Amino acid sequence: MDMVAMNIIDSAMVAICREMGVNVQKTAYSTIFSEAEDFTCALASPEGEMISVAEFCPAQIGGVPLLVRSMVREVGAAAIEEGDVIVHNDPYRGGLHTPEHTMFKPIFVDGELMGFAVCIGHFVEVGGMVPGGFPGEATEIFHEGFRVPPVKIVKRGKDVPEVWKLLLANVRTPRGNYGDLRALISAVDLGERRLKELIGKYGKATFRQTVSDLMDYSEARMRAEIKAFPDGHYGFEDFIEDDGIEDKEYRIKVTVHVQGNEVVIDYTGSSSQAKGPINATLGVAWSASYNAMLHLTDPSIPKNSGCFRPIRVIAPAGSVMNVNYPGSEVGGNTETHPLIVACILGAMAEAAPNRVMASEGTTHGCFVFGGYDELNDEPFGAFDFSYVGYGGRAFADGNDATDSINGNCANTPTEVFETRYPWIVEEYALRQDSGGAGEHRGGLSISKTMLSTGPVMISQMTNKHKRRAWGLKGGREGVSGATLYLQANGNRWQTISEAFGKVSPSKYSNVPIKPGERVSVKAPGGGGYGDPQKRDRRLIVDDVVEGFISRKKAKEDYGFEERWIAAYGGDAPSDKAAE
Amino acid sequence: MGQMVGIDVGGTFTDFVAYDPAQKQLKVWKTLSTPRDPGEGILGGIEKGGALGAIDHLRFGTTIATNAILERKGATVAYITTEGFKDVPFIQRGKRKAHYDITWVKSKPLVRRQHCHEVRGRITARGGEYTPLDEDRVRALAKEIAAEPSVEAVAVCLLFSYVTPVHERKIKEIFTELCPTKPLSVSYDVLPKWKEHERSSTTIADAYVKPLVSRHLKNLKARFEARGIGTKRIAVIRSNGGEMTVDGAADMPIQMTLSGPTGGVVGAKQIAKLIGVDQLVTLDMGGTSTDVATVVNGRESFTTSFEIEFGVPIQIPMIDIRTMGAGGGSLAWIDKGGMLRVGPESAGADPGPACYRMGGTRATVTDANVVLGRINPANFLGGEMALDAEAARRTVAEIAKAIGKTTEETALAMVQIANNNMIGALRWVLTERGLDPRDFTLLAFGGAGPVHVTDLMYHAGIPSGVVPNYPGQFSAFGFIMTDARIDLERTAQMTSKAFDAAHANQVLSDLLRESVAALKEQDYIDRIELHRSLEMRYFGQNHELDVPIAFDQFTPATIASIWDAFHKAHKARFNFDISGETIELISIKVTAVSLTEKPDLPKLAASSATPKPVARRPVIFDHGALDTPVYDRGALKAGQRFVGPAVIEEPASVTVVRPGDAVRIDDYGNILIGKIAAA
Repeated sequence: MDMVAMNIIDSAMVAICREMGVNVQKTAYSTIFSEAEDFTCALASPEGEMISVAEFCPAQIGGVPLLVRSMVREVGAAAIEEGDVIVHNDPYRGGLHTPEHTMFKPIFVDGELMGFAVCIGHFVEVGGMVPGGFPGEATEIFHEGFRVPPVKIVKRGKDVPEVWKLLLANVRTPRGNYGDLRALISAVDLGERRLKELIGKYGKATFRQTVSDLMDYSEARMRAEIKAFPDGHYGFEDFIEDDGIEDKEYRIKVTVHVQGNEVVIDYTGSSSQAKGPINATLGVAWSASYNAMLHLTDPSIPKNSGCFRPIRVIAPAGSVMNVNYPGSEVGGNTETHPLIVACILGAMAEAAPNRVMASEGTTHGCFVFGGYDELNDEPFGAFDFSYVGYGGRAFADGNDATDSINGNCANTPTEVFETRYPWIVEEYALRQDSGGAGEHRGGLSISKTMLSTGPVMISQMTNKHKRRAWGLKGGREGVSGATLYLQANGNRWQTISEAFGKVSPSKYSNVPIKPGERVSVKAPGGGGYGDPQKRDRRLIVDDVVEGFISRKKAKEDYGFEERWIAAYGGDAPSDKAAE
Repeated sequence: MGQMVGIDVGGTFTDFVAYDPAQKQLKVWKTLSTPRDPGEGILGGIEKGGALGAIDHLRFGTTIATNAILERKGATVAYITTEGFKDVPFIQRGKRKAHYDITWVKSKPLVRRQHCHEVRGRITARGGEYTPLDEDRVRALAKEIAAEPSVEAVAVCLLFSYVTPVHERKIKEIFTELCPTKPLSVSYDVLPKWKEHERSSTTIADAYVKPLVSRHLKNLKARFEARGIGTKRIAVIRSNGGEMTVDGAADMPIQMTLSGPTGGVVGAKQIAKLIGVDQLVTLDMGGTSTDVATVVNGRESFTTSFEIEFGVPIQIPMIDIRTMGAGGGSLAWIDKGGMLRVGPESAGADPGPACYRMGGTRATVTDANVVLGRINPANFLGGEMALDAEAARRTVAEIAKAIGKTTEETALAMVQIANNNMIGALRWVLTERGLDPRDFTLLAFGGAGPVHVTDLMYHAGIPSGVVPNYPGQFSAFGFIMTDARIDLERTAQMTSKAFDAAHANQVLSDLLRESVAALKEQDYIDRIELHRSLEMRYFGQNHELDVPIAFDQFTPATIASIWDAFHKAHKARFNFDISGETIELISIKVTAVSLTEKPDLPKLAASSATPKPVARRPVIFDHGALDTPVYDRGALKAGQRFVGPAVIEEPASVTVVRPGDAVRIDDYGNILIGKIAAA
């Protein structure tokens, strides 16, 4: 094993993936790529192992190995030619959910297939029953958008016009989707060029050997981390509050078996698959398991398929953890994924106390809407993120207003949002008191209140409007989220269920909003960690003085007294530490 | 004519460069910095430089503003914003700093939430007034803040002020009347560009450093007067590489956040002219970090996107300099999987590399260079500091034992890994922006840059290299050549389908007028050049390309030309364009530059004789040790040539030349390497 060559080739490959990502970010149309970075760029071996990846969207990173393998199996290695680009979005062929399109470009050196450049991106508009790709009431994969099995969109360097026509005829915003498809293709083109240069520099044999060593190295690091956990069977469970179709909870049950330097993550005992779109595909079950394990281990391990070798996943077919065709699934990747990660972290709370947190809000809000842009005379679709509170930790409070753990997406600034879409945002704020109390309190979530200035059709796929983020070690629950509606000139805010007769307040399709009406989207807060009575009084006072917690809540949770302000006010300890 | 003096106030040393136009001579020296009282270091240093005579133009770059932010030692700021939005600095953009790191703690903004105030009043995205400003509330707030002794400065940022600043201006008017003693920063003045978190964070940062910076600068001015050091003009270097007057800097201190490293880029631009190239990439490698930047088509690259720490953006026009934590002091270590790694942890200036004899006990890149024979332990800093070669060997040998290699192999591996990290930085500024390294010349300076220059040329595929004179003081050298420069930018969002020429013309003419006025206000009235550009993108994209324009009026013909120019720029940058697509204009930008007097750099005596090495020693390169000639830079003459392997020593640095690389000394004494030397 040549550790020096390995270090150099690893960082060169990560740089290639980063550069691919910069291309996507700068040229893509959907704000979900360009602002939110909801995409991933990777390099893969001909066998479908992920050999390198850059840090963009965590949910997609764990999805790469299955995607490449499924694609190669279906298309067949012999049919893949130099200059081809293959597009794919099918959740029943290794995909994570319908909106995510993956491009693969084979990399040939002297006629020999050396690997693939891979780019996955989340398209806002994919056809299906609602604009924006998140029909909260879908019951079949066909409702959720246009399904694309692995097909060549570019063949030997030339666009395949029939495929482009089919793709663009089945979405509401063909102009924007065209731009997004081009952005992904330009990224894999670049990845191909750069990896060829790299292989040219080191030679095929050295490259192949070094990459193989690199994966062995990551595997060894991962095994050493797992070995440090005490052997045992660690269980946890939580629930998706409903599926948009029936008012019924769905259990996510996880047992983590730590056995020496291996781990088996078993979802046996989880509910049967739901009618509504909260089901995880097999790709999501793998990806979420990997995501949790990467959080539980040293973040500096090079990310490649080697990391995943010591991890086995049991996801029973026909359950919410591994949906059978043709069940609906779009929320599996946004709502169920973070809930799975939270459960694994919860299960490991005793075994790895400094690598876990109480539950975060486990949702991205997934508030989508569409309408017609009169000024530019074309339809639009949009996706808006909500930020949750993170869970308290053994060593710190949960972070406020942060994207849920399987994404790492930035918001669309209000000044961009209002320029693009027919809303006036009246409030974009932290929700006071939304974090669960604890020695280390849960993070606060956000609230966004919007006044409509033009007709829009809204849909949503979120969770924790009824349930709450749990605390750990005596920490309390965070506050639930909510989406509220107010009629023009009205004075009573109602849930979407109350106002529009929907089964679920958090998962619904096609609710029309007229000018003058308001919608307020409130995300759930994080759970607390540890006994609230043990909280440092200086931190309690700081939260009160800064208004993160109301006096009333501080009194209830912590026994706050007014005189504490004089006694414990001034600089909070975290400020002191920073000095 | 009097002297031109450039001063680079760094964390450890303050560098001085003085140019005497009468004698056409450069003088270069350095002193220890005095962080507690930055003015003292500057004055003391000028005095140490000896009788300079009259100073015409003194310019300095300083990290006062940056350090105040990094160390959180700025003012208590009151922040005023639109109703419903006071949490924007706390929410930030919702992202985490890194995936998978459960220990990450979100940054706090530079303002306390108890000092954030909301006022009613709302401008819409198209510039209309949706809700009038609640002026009574503003008046009450102004009185309240004026009466609150703990608040030292005020920042104002309202939604959509970049479209219509009327509400912000009204607040400014009321505060000027009712709260006149507290410095005020208003977002429209600081940077009228969209995205509220970035604009508010920048405005708050400006207010945060204003009291401190004003104090320092006033104090400095007073001391110059008190000590009778006569200067016609004292200027501070801005982050955009231009200069501004001391009063200008005190008024908008955020503009000097990245003052220091810009000197190297300004100097690079002049070197590019001297050696006749227009594509240059700079590498300023010091003890703990390395800065890289580009000069493309003879111009610096600019950006407004910068975060001083994660979640705390500071968006001012600045030279696009990327910093990475890799330098001569970067430490070698073995990770949990047995892999050798180098940096980002650094031995810094204290204790420094093991060979410095200052208590360092771990191997650094500098120690590895000593083991490889690249750095001469007996001739470091011109012999002022004798290095401990034994300590270097001993610490590298410890690493060697852990990875089962020889000491020499390990030293070579450490240098290769450090180089690879720096190649990553070169990739950021070149390939990630669609620039081809093969078109570039690498300009290496800082103490450690010349040591690595030829390795980096080779591995990054850059054919030519240059090591300028005084590589250790190159940033201060750049400061004697800065121009006064104002960069203005205003968001004027519209599409090719619905282009509002009247509004665009209004914004462009406002910017042209305001930029010239801003220069004249500081008494820069001569040789003013104007540059205009548009930030555009395909409608639906979210990141813009900067497209230069050469007209002052949007007409049907000039409007057609901008769409065409954009398609071409997109094709050039990203390898594709979308013909017929709707294009969106985001911002209009104007730069006004007042050109200043430039030094006429001294030339070196020429010689056609083959230069004589002062010594020979074994130096280890990629394929083993070679008996290598050592040259004294001070003895080299213009026009002299030789071929590597070679080592060229001078007090501030050492240039290591790989086997086979051609070297030529140009008329000014620059060391040219590779393709450019063969010319």
